[in-house]
Amino acid sequence: MIEFEHVTYTYPGASGPALSDVTLSIAEGEFVLVAGPSGAGKSTLLRCINGLVPHFSGGVVSGRIRVAGNDPLALGPQSLSRVVGFVFQDPEAQFVLDRVEDEIAFALENAALSPSEMRVRVEEVLNLLDLAPLRNRTLQTLSGGEKQRVAIAAALAFRPRVLVLDEPTSQLDPQSAEDVLNALTRLNVDQGLTVVLAEHRLERVLPHVDRLVYLSREPLRGEGMRVLSGTPREVLRQVDLAPQLVVLGKALGWEPLPLTVKEGRAFANGMASTAPDTSVRPSRSRVPGEALLSIDRLSFAYNGSSALAGVSLTVHKGELVVLMGRNGSGKTTLLKCIVGILRPDRGEVKLAGESLLGKETAEIGQQVGYLPQDPDDLLFADSVNEELGVTLRYHNLLANPPIPPGELLQRLGLSDVATAYPRDLSVGQRQRVGLGAVTVTRPRLLMLDEPTRGLDYSAKQALVRLLREWQAEGVGVLLVTHDVELAAQAADRVVILSQGEIVADDTPEVLTVSPLFAPQVARLFPGRGWLVVEDALRGLGKA
Amino acid sequence: MLDARVWLVWVVTALVASSVARNPLYAVLLLLITVIVGAACRAEGDRTGGRPSVLSPLRFAALAIPLSGLFNALSVHFGDTVLFRLPGNWPFIGGPVTLEAFTYGAQNGIALSAIFAAFMAFNLVTPVRDLVGIAPRAFHETGVVISIALTFIPQTVESLTRIRHAQAVRGHRLQGLRDWPPIVLPLLISGLEQSMGLAEAMVARGYGAVSDQRQSARMSAGIALSLLVVLTGWLTLLFSTRWRVAGLVLMGVGAGLMLALLWSAGRSVPHTSYRPRRWTVRDTLGVAGCGLALAAASLRAYPGHSTLYYMPYPRLTLPPFAPLVGLGLLGLLAPAILAGRRAPFAPPLDGEHAEV
Repeated sequence: MIEFEHVTYTYPGASGPALSDVTLSIAEGEFVLVAGPSGAGKSTLLRCINGLVPHFSGGVVSGRIRVAGNDPLALGPQSLSRVVGFVFQDPEAQFVLDRVEDEIAFALENAALSPSEMRVRVEEVLNLLDLAPLRNRTLQTLSGGEKQRVAIAAALAFRPRVLVLDEPTSQLDPQSAEDVLNALTRLNVDQGLTVVLAEHRLERVLPHVDRLVYLSREPLRGEGMRVLSGTPREVLRQVDLAPQLVVLGKALGWEPLPLTVKEGRAFANGMASTAPDTSVRPSRSRVPGEALLSIDRLSFAYNGSSALAGVSLTVHKGELVVLMGRNGSGKTTLLKCIVGILRPDRGEVKLAGESLLGKETAEIGQQVGYLPQDPDDLLFADSVNEELGVTLRYHNLLANPPIPPGELLQRLGLSDVATAYPRDLSVGQRQRVGLGAVTVTRPRLLMLDEPTRGLDYSAKQALVRLLREWQAEGVGVLLVTHDVELAAQAADRVVILSQGEIVADDTPEVLTVSPLFAPQVARLFPGRGWLVVEDALRGLGKA
Repeated sequence: MLDARVWLVWVVTALVASSVARNPLYAVLLLLITVIVGAACRAEGDRTGGRPSVLSPLRFAALAIPLSGLFNALSVHFGDTVLFRLPGNWPFIGGPVTLEAFTYGAQNGIALSAIFAAFMAFNLVTPVRDLVGIAPRAFHETGVVISIALTFIPQTVESLTRIRHAQAVRGHRLQGLRDWPPIVLPLLISGLEQSMGLAEAMVARGYGAVSDQRQSARMSAGIALSLLVVLTGWLTLLFSTRWRVAGLVLMGVGAGLMLALLWSAGRSVPHTSYRPRRWTVRDTLGVAGCGLALAAASLRAYPGHSTLYYMPYPRLTLPPFAPLVGLGLLGLLAPAILAGRRAPFAPPLDGEHAEV
């Protein structure tokens, strides 16, 4: 169905190719996951399939591509739209109209299909993606997962033979992501649709895919090869970037390598019964230090609709608290109330005993570093160095910075790009520049809102290491995330919000009993209290 | 729901009536009518996917009317009823402040509020898709661009708020003009990135696959030529008394050529409608109501028409009011009266789609 032969592509003005000599073959009806570290060329590869690269992006391409017998390099994305449906990372960024049915029909209207034919096709995709009850809803009233399913439906309206998706679940909570992936599996199994999907969170997608294509920035196996393609087991055996279950399987020599918790449980059940250490993991939760952030019965409503209802929470010095919950549960609202962007209706917020209510956001910002979901909202200076200088200038600290910007950049791993234009950097680097911009005042509390979107496993590890360093210096951290594996790895305490109320505030072990937020290791060894690979290895006496 | 074309006629009629009626009694009547229509059609707007108002029309009126009155009272110093005097050496505002000047300004504020309320109601009840449908087929792409621009406005407002908050958290204070670059630059860059993303998504969905660039170039050249012919005719009419007929003929030919080009271009635009809407009796009634109001506001030869005009200067008097004119303007209430009453051949609502 899809053939790449020695494809090399270089973006305009780029110093090196984004894809180098890629040869790849995908059969009809396969469900293929494209994985690899940030900047390895996953999105570029996907865009080659429908001709967006090079027709939309420009640049130089060589080699040969065939998609269902068509040449996307010659025909371009508009012609290929009948063969390849394309879904982007952010569903809202691709909507043209404002209602579900209208959005799905938009491309069909422009292709001048007859109204009766359009009705048939729209009904088809509405039913395929369980969207029929939402057909008359406005898009802005839908949840993230529903929006992404509408985007998939719109891409399927032409009855394409291939569906390509670029990180479609990166902004979704675990349940919404599962809904989207189940819909894709149904399309693949029932309709024989070829699905090609790029994703960083492999643990979410691996149970659904037939094949894994791994792209690397560096040559693999010393053979100059930058693409590995095969069954997920074959590929994951050869690469380091893998979900916790696979890492554990490799460490314990499980064969065949398990890809799902169900597969892993067959090995785990036998091992756990003979394990030397049957006690629960030593709790990572520390003895609470001095209270840093104290929130008491905080309530907030958007136009009369309650978003937070009597939330009470404490973050201690040097403690990392992970805040979890489904989309719309009130996590971001809580962070905004803390930094004074939103004024709570009731309740109290104190930092080191001093009330933050009524204070200006700009004043609070010196003590509380807040990294918003999209770090690009912070970035406008000409260089990374200058971004840090801007924050210092706002707080009149330029002459006497609490932490020398050069030292902070080194800590953030940004010394090499100190003079680079921030928006030219990778997602992970931009996120670290944003982090630098809000921490250069050496805040006592750091709040991060979904900081791992678009980050690969190694970038997440680097972030966790950085947060641990700050914790050791007494900085309190409040981390909002949907990433259960990150939460399991980093949290000293986990708080779960639902409909504006705290439903759990406990040690990270609370994740082991959560059906929605349990990490893979916890699901593999229920009742043992293990959260990450290290816990399991230690518990099994294999550390 | 009423056809988008009826709403277009309604908003244009409300605009004309509010601009023509220089009498505060009619202006207040028009303001009430537009507010009532907006309120009556709110449920319909919620169901059909219209865009909710960013500011309540009544709140807008509560701000616009006194501010406009105050501005006029301070800047125009005519009128017999002096409320108080400001020192004459105060630039611009110095001099007598009169009730007549305040009334005149407030009258403008009422008209402005009525126009605002009319646009808010129109915005509320017409989904973006229907706005695209209103555009003639020759201007379909322009219609799509406008509809995207309309959906971009709330997104841009959201981005602005997000960026303002993000900058405030790092210590930014918005105190003067020079504090705007940290807000405007990320907003511009994210707007451009968003536009590129949308363009990429539209191309990936086949948008523009069937457009004919040569046809488009021919169309542009043809429009330019017809405008040139119209301009030549107009200049001939303006500067020559001997060639007046020739000028009129040239203008007619130019206009005819332009219409023919648009018709031809419209036929060549391959586009169909997912839910082609049939014109209903309700639509006819809606247009009839607008026609009545338009006649009351613009026809000259009927009793009471002169009461549309009112000037508070030099001394404030009670504005005249002709019931016939008032009744005619009430025709604009037609959408509110028709709201919620389903026509026999109205398009299907939720859950009524045929099984396929």
